[in-house]
Amino acid sequence: MTLTLIEAALLVFVLGCAVGAALLKDTLAAVMAFAAYSLGVSVLWLVLQAPDVGLTEAAVGAGIMTVLFLLALSNTTSPDVDRLFESVGWRSAALVAGFVVLIGATVPALPTIGDPNSAVVGGEVSQYYLENAYAQTEVKNAVTAVLAAYRGFDTLGEGVVVFSAVVVTLSVLRREVVA
Amino acid sequence: MSAGDADAAASGDEGAGLYVESTIIMTTVRLVAPFILTFALFIMFHGADSPGGGFQGGVIAGSVVMMLAFAYGIDSTRQWLDVRIVSALASGGVFAFVGIGLGAMALGGQFLQYSEFEALFGHAIKYAIELVELGIGAIVAAVAIGLFFLLAAGFDDLAEEDSS
Repeated sequence: MTLTLIEAALLVFVLGCAVGAALLKDTLAAVMAFAAYSLGVSVLWLVLQAPDVGLTEAAVGAGIMTVLFLLALSNTTSPDVDRLFESVGWRSAALVAGFVVLIGATVPALPTIGDPNSAVVGGEVSQYYLENAYAQTEVKNAVTAVLAAYRGFDTLGEGVVVFSAVVVTLSVLRREVVA
Repeated sequence: MSAGDADAAASGDEGAGLYVESTIIMTTVRLVAPFILTFALFIMFHGADSPGGGFQGGVIAGSVVMMLAFAYGIDSTRQWLDVRIVSALASGGVFAFVGIGLGAMALGGQFLQYSEFEALFGHAIKYAIELVELGIGAIVAAVAIGLFFLLAAGFDDLAEEDSS
């Protein structure tokens, strides 16, 4: 698998931000690193030609989540930070390293980008969607066709899950009205 | 950050610690907000033909309110925005989605079988998908706004109840 320069730069940026978010001692700095990580991932999605996912990642991961984290932080008191990075115990480091190796071992099993024989391109289901989505739903964006029509019931479930987030927050905070 | 936190904790008024009144921010937000809201609606309505859809558009629409709160203060934004609108949007979106599903059943089809609406109007599947996207957008925008205000308010009232 060959990386273009922009993909390699993005990967380094994303990895750096992820490690920063995990290791930075100051919570505010960690939240900002996490936002930068989300932004990097969303650009990566765009480069990989998944604009729907990229848009979601940018709006939710980099936008809303950061604001909610900052709000939650502002409602707490943060202790004075004496040093830049969190001290890492060897047990956690070993656990994380093992997890990275485990996940990394699955990467070679993924098809290369643009592989005509990969399940994503050649699979029966994806081909069916790509060939019939416009004829059956009159919607040009196949992603929307799958989400709203072919898997409408799933999407209804997701909508209710999002709805229940605010209901749960209301009940946890013991409030009766939103806002 | 820590100084502001300490002040806010000392006065017991988190809103004052959070909000910084700035002419630059207020002017910028006033200028930019209509465009962002338009962009959000574009993504919501145009999700059928271009990247995006109800979810993404809804999140962006919700972030407009967060931006207003950032510029004009959370409490004044909360007063300006009727809380009933937020609840109505969230539950209205769910009802619209479920209603479309049940409507298809009422017309003799299966749950969410959009093609049943073809009896009522042309291009039924396309418009049903658009309606569903708008419903999702309403849910997501309202939930984003609601979570924002709820997290900002936190346990305020609860503490007052306990102390009184």
